[in-house]
Amino acid sequence: MSKNHSEGASLNLSQVGSGDEVRVRRLDCAPTTCQRLREMGFCENALVTKIRGGADLVCWVCGTRVALSARLAKQILVEHVDGRS
Amino acid sequence: MSQDSPKRWIAVVGNPNAGKSTLFNALTGLRQRVGNYPGVTVEKHTGTAFTLHGEAVELIDLPGMYSLAARSPDEEIAVKVLLGQSVGVPRPDAVLCVVDASNLERNLFLVTQVMELGLPVLVALNMVDVAEARGIRLHPDQLSEKLGVTFIPTQAHRGKGLVELRAALGQRLLKPGPRQWTMPPPLAVAVGQIASAWRQSEPSEMRPEGKALELLAGSNVGPDGARKLATAWRERFRKEAYDWSASVVHARYEYVRKMLGEAGIGSGKRGGTWTDWIDAVVLHPVAGWVVLVGMMLILFMSIFSIAAYPMGWIDGAFTWLGGVIQNALPAGMLRDLLIDGILAGVGGVVIFLPQILILFFFLGLLEDSGYLARAAFLLDRVMHRVGLSGKSFIPLLSSYACAIPGIMATRTVEDPKDRLTTILVAPLMSCSARIPVYTTLLAAAVPVALVPVWGKAAAMLGLYVLGTGTAFILAWFFRKKLLGGGSPPLILELPPYRMPSLQTVSLRMWERAILFLRRAGTVILALSIVLWFLSSFPNTSDDPTEKLAGSFAGQMGHGLEPILRPLGFDWRIGIGLVASLAAREVFVSTMSIVYHVGGEGEGLVTAMRSATWPDGALIYTPLTCLALLVFYVYALQCLSTVAVAKRETGGWKWPIFMLLYMTGLAYLAAWLVQGVGRALGFS
Repeated sequence: MSKNHSEGASLNLSQVGSGDEVRVRRLDCAPTTCQRLREMGFCENALVTKIRGGADLVCWVCGTRVALSARLAKQILVEHVDGRS
Repeated sequence: MSQDSPKRWIAVVGNPNAGKSTLFNALTGLRQRVGNYPGVTVEKHTGTAFTLHGEAVELIDLPGMYSLAARSPDEEIAVKVLLGQSVGVPRPDAVLCVVDASNLERNLFLVTQVMELGLPVLVALNMVDVAEARGIRLHPDQLSEKLGVTFIPTQAHRGKGLVELRAALGQRLLKPGPRQWTMPPPLAVAVGQIASAWRQSEPSEMRPEGKALELLAGSNVGPDGARKLATAWRERFRKEAYDWSASVVHARYEYVRKMLGEAGIGSGKRGGTWTDWIDAVVLHPVAGWVVLVGMMLILFMSIFSIAAYPMGWIDGAFTWLGGVIQNALPAGMLRDLLIDGILAGVGGVVIFLPQILILFFFLGLLEDSGYLARAAFLLDRVMHRVGLSGKSFIPLLSSYACAIPGIMATRTVEDPKDRLTTILVAPLMSCSARIPVYTTLLAAAVPVALVPVWGKAAAMLGLYVLGTGTAFILAWFFRKKLLGGGSPPLILELPPYRMPSLQTVSLRMWERAILFLRRAGTVILALSIVLWFLSSFPNTSDDPTEKLAGSFAGQMGHGLEPILRPLGFDWRIGIGLVASLAAREVFVSTMSIVYHVGGEGEGLVTAMRSATWPDGALIYTPLTCLALLVFYVYALQCLSTVAVAKRETGGWKWPIFMLLYMTGLAYLAAWLVQGVGRALGFS
């Protein structure tokens, strides 16, 4: 009965380079925000491609572009699909 | 189904921007507003569609939603209809799910939820052309087989698949089978126990699992035993730090992914590379702003340059009509009423129709192309600083057209404090009704011939920037100081760009033109007649100026003058301000009546430019025009906005606050302009 799908994910979405594909490991935000993120496709294990970075960023998830504020991106912990850290 | 059977009600649901309203329009022949950004539909709409056998069914077009866990007022409307809790709409007999075929994973997440409502479901697999262009191979038959409900491929905007959809609507729709996704073990035990307790109390309950999940989520509706069990499980999950709601979302997505994989439906390549190219410019922190300001400047230049021709034609038509009436009727009250009351009042406003249509043409292009969501993205940083998210910018941008749809569009804003703040500042965004006032006063301030088109456009842009900037500053004050709390983060879907549909844009312009002309033919006509009466009686003199001064309206204006004098406004402007409390554009029609200009736009400006104080000094100096412009940027001169704010905030408290703060701000700002201007040596 563990809440974590991963332990030790230290990389967040804002730190990822544009064009990189990553897998969501954990969401670290307020419950309602987490729930909305999951419903929009950012659930644990989902594959996300960061299209553009900056103050706010744009991601490709579940077949759509979704804009996120940078502070929210910092609360989405991810890992590179190719195993990079 | 016999003719005597009651009509079936079918709810149309789906993710935002999946094409629900386009499909609804195609099936019903109605013209609900559509656009290329999430959150166009914020209210439920009903319309009659016919099956292939001629059976009439009532379709309910609902606002888009990502899940049945509603978080914003527009989503609440949709969920309430689906659960049969909406006043005036019966619980639907079936659901038509509209899914974006190019984005099946997320769209089917909602479908799995809808399938658990215990209602028959039909799925329109919409935008199949977009999916195919992205290399997604769709297998509707396999989807139907796996999910146990019928999938019909459609392209709503091209009218494709409608025959099949009408045929399917005429048949008995399939009721989904039992839940197919696997509930995680700890939750499955809890839901099993709660559902069983519910069934014991109410054996007729058709979806005890769904009710159990609602109880776990905090609902208080249900039998005592089930409620107590839910509370105990919730507490246990909390202590064990088990996020059960996350596990449900996760399990549903896992099921959808697995099912799509088994059906051989991939996610395709990332579509719309050209969308990325355009985004690289329009979302750029510097270039994006250049594009935004450039587009606004082009819009305002068009308002002055292109609109000048049709405005000239309308002006000519009213002048001709005035001449005809002048020649046809003998001098007297009827002729005065027709020329100085109705023609001056209605004509004075109708002349601005081309400018308003140009504004709607540009806004329509922005909405239909997909740019609107990008503008919200660009503005998010600014909005965040004032305590709002970029999502609030779409309602604010809509308010450039009219504050009423703008305030309605705040239903997409999830945070209640954000929503209230957005409602409170939305009327500060310069709406289309201000265009006649701005144009008239700008022309009165500086001779038209002396100012190039770009100069007028820049001045107009300045007024819009003033309103928008003040809206942001006040949003900061209301959100951070008055209401308190942090601002929510931005999560916004950016639709792919598409070529704007000329039909959609023209339709919106046409609707706006009808609305504007209807308003001119009703409210403005009635106010013009009343105002003509008030400015003509009692008839104390043959001299037009003295006659006006002695009239009811003149007496009222004189009564107001001591309050308005510090702003540089005379009693005639006072008449205009009071008359335009109902609607801003009435100021122009009122001034046309006050100055007896018989509907001639240029005539009004000329009359205003030569109007003087008793000592011979000009009233409409550039400084006074500026003060009056600033007054109209800020003042809430629109009863319809007050009414819609009352409805959306659920009481009179906030609309009254809005009316008071905007009127106070308008007065103070106009007084400051006049005071500072004079101190600097301007007149």
